[in-house]
Amino acid sequence: MASDGGAYSYSLTVFSPSGKLVQIEHALAAVAGGTTSLGIKASNGIVIATEKKTSSILIDDSMLDKVCVICPNIGIVYSGMGPDFRVLVAKARKSAQAYWKIYGEYPPTRVLTHEIATVMQQATHSGGVRPYGVSLLVAGWDVNRGPSLYQVDPSGSYWAWKASAIGKNMVNAKTFLEKRYNDDISLEDAIHTALLTLKEGFEGQMTEKTIEIGVVTVPTPAEIDAERMAGPNDRPKPTFRKLSEEEVRDYLAL
Amino acid sequence: MEYNGGSVIAMVGKGCVAIGSDLRLGNQALTVATNFEKVFPVTDRIYIGMSGLATDVATLREQFRFRVNMYTIKEEREIEPESFAHLVSSTLYERRFGPYFIEPVMAGLWKTQAGEYKPYIAAADLIGCLNFAKDFVVAGTASEKLFGVAEGLWEPDLEPEDLFETISQTLLNGVDRDAYSGWGAVIHVILPDKVITRTLKGRMD
Amino acid sequence: MNTFVNRFSTNNALSVIRKAQAVVDDDEEFSDAAWGSEAGFGSLAKGVPSFSIPAVHDPTAFLRLHTDDHADPNCRIKIQHGTTTLAFRFQGGVIVAVDSRATAGSYIASGTVKKVIEINPYLLGTMAGGAADCQYWETYLGIQCRLHELRNKERISVAAASKYLSNLVYSYKGMGLSMGTMICGWDKTGPAVFYVDSDGTRLKGDLFSVGSGSTFAYGVLDQGYRWDLTDEEAQELGRRSIYAAGHRDAFSGNTCNLYHVKEDGWRFLGNYDITKMHYDGPGDVPGSAQVAYGYDVRVEGRTSSNPPAAAATA
Repeated sequence: MASDGGAYSYSLTVFSPSGKLVQIEHALAAVAGGTTSLGIKASNGIVIATEKKTSSILIDDSMLDKVCVICPNIGIVYSGMGPDFRVLVAKARKSAQAYWKIYGEYPPTRVLTHEIATVMQQATHSGGVRPYGVSLLVAGWDVNRGPSLYQVDPSGSYWAWKASAIGKNMVNAKTFLEKRYNDDISLEDAIHTALLTLKEGFEGQMTEKTIEIGVVTVPTPAEIDAERMAGPNDRPKPTFRKLSEEEVRDYLAL
Repeated sequence: MEYNGGSVIAMVGKGCVAIGSDLRLGNQALTVATNFEKVFPVTDRIYIGMSGLATDVATLREQFRFRVNMYTIKEEREIEPESFAHLVSSTLYERRFGPYFIEPVMAGLWKTQAGEYKPYIAAADLIGCLNFAKDFVVAGTASEKLFGVAEGLWEPDLEPEDLFETISQTLLNGVDRDAYSGWGAVIHVILPDKVITRTLKGRMD
Repeated sequence: MNTFVNRFSTNNALSVIRKAQAVVDDDEEFSDAAWGSEAGFGSLAKGVPSFSIPAVHDPTAFLRLHTDDHADPNCRIKIQHGTTTLAFRFQGGVIVAVDSRATAGSYIASGTVKKVIEINPYLLGTMAGGAADCQYWETYLGIQCRLHELRNKERISVAAASKYLSNLVYSYKGMGLSMGTMICGWDKTGPAVFYVDSDGTRLKGDLFSVGSGSTFAYGVLDQGYRWDLTDEEAQELGRRSIYAAGHRDAFSGNTCNLYHVKEDGWRFLGNYDITKMHYDGPGDVPGSAQVAYGYDVRVEGRTSSNPPAAAATA
């Protein structure tokens, strides 16, 4: 039994007399124990980045994905429990495809974030389940709101951020970001700031194998119009993509 | 389609679109009413017209109103013509094995990044197969006749007033060759800043 | 022996056809030779031409299968049914009024069809059902009426003419003929109207309406009909009845053709556009009150849903 949960620390999420949902606080603790992830919204895009840690050098880390593409315009990263994240990614991808099936386009970032947050919230007041042990950073672009960055917590609450960090080093990272951030920052600068922030309190060597980066780029007005006039057989041009190991290596070298 | 009769048409113009329907509501050969409109606003710049079974026209009008309102609230934005067309299509396909007996026609304007408005029209069959056209779309008991007249009268880049004249003549003359459509008509010309709606006198037989 | 059997056995399909030929041949007193070659005068002159019959075991069943769209709406040979025709007898003669729409399925094939067949200067026939059947057999009836006149030195009665037609179509029963007609005229007995159809029905009466729009026409007709109608009132009633049918029935409309039969024969009174009657009325013609027939035109500004401008502002 958890040290501070006492009699209210059941798997079923119930209120303690003081109004706390202790299970959620435990979930938050699981997130705080996870590797650091961060996101920065730049003037012309967004960067999300995370540290990839393996428990043994024998693990083939090329198959580990912490930054995930949900649909061509949205990607997410997490801190906390890997398996919970995997389930959420599957649900988010399914939701994005369901949206596409109805409207013929992929969901705006806010709508997809809302969907994920709803799933996470439901785990806090359903019987026989525990909350998800992850916090997410959702980065995406849509024609309505442009680039946007959201953070979703195990409670199911979500906010939009200019820059945020989650996981083990989140307090320090946020302080670092607060100092470094300004509204005019370019995507290139933001990627470097992201790497610099991760460097604070990074355990071990920062290489293309231990860092994952995803970026959102903003299409030009001409590209946006072309997209809308595209036929049913034209695939949408992605606005979110993961950087390849070569690209990450180049950024680390600078 | 022949149970209640009725026809709908939409046409593209220069920076504008027009959509219209006849006004007949019948019970097979018997004309029951001559004020039954089949075109409804969705947003300020999107209209949908539905021909076919009148009870389904009424049901789907409310269904689309519900879904578009939910969309507007959830997404905090107005639906765009293309998304709406897909919504119509998926709503109809939901009933693939027990379809609504309607053929929808949609017309709207969408805003480019430069702030211009571009015309958009589409039609679908009763289970939601979308048909995007660059010129005109038709549906209903007079559809073949409307195709014929429209093929002859429509030309590219019609200004709003010319488009109104073209769609009016097409609709009126098309339904005059159809026993189940006619008895007056209504036309909406959708412009970026307003919609011009006019009721037309037609043959009453 | 075979001829005898064929002639009197009712089951044999061939005998049905032979009997049909016989009905008309019986009236034929002169040999075909008098007319010379068929090529010069056409087949009508010598009587009923011999129609080629489907070369099957039972032509009647075969034709019923392919022409009767009551039993099978998807049958191959479509016959137009949409029509409104009416005729009524009154003190001043007979009024005959018809619409002018021809439909093929939902398609309006023509809006200018002549559905009154002028059999001779004293006889009119109306057309409902198969246009070709009506036209052909009523023209043929005209020939026989003229022959009757030459033979008997007096005009055929309406009763006799209509009976001739009814016997004729009855002999083709079951082979797909489709006609619903009113034979109208004036003879020694005065004005006369007979209803004849391809089932073999023949009815004498004061007032008939035939076709898909007949119910609407009857509605107006029954409400306004009296024996002592004046000529003008009767003409207006005919026009107004066809308007009602044209307005309400999808398969009737376009225009109304109006005829009046009097002692000295029939007279064509005019062609009236149904939409024009709806919006403006029939125009300056006898019997017309010169007001629009259309309900919405007559009540405009007079209903609670569409109040007059003054009331709306008050």
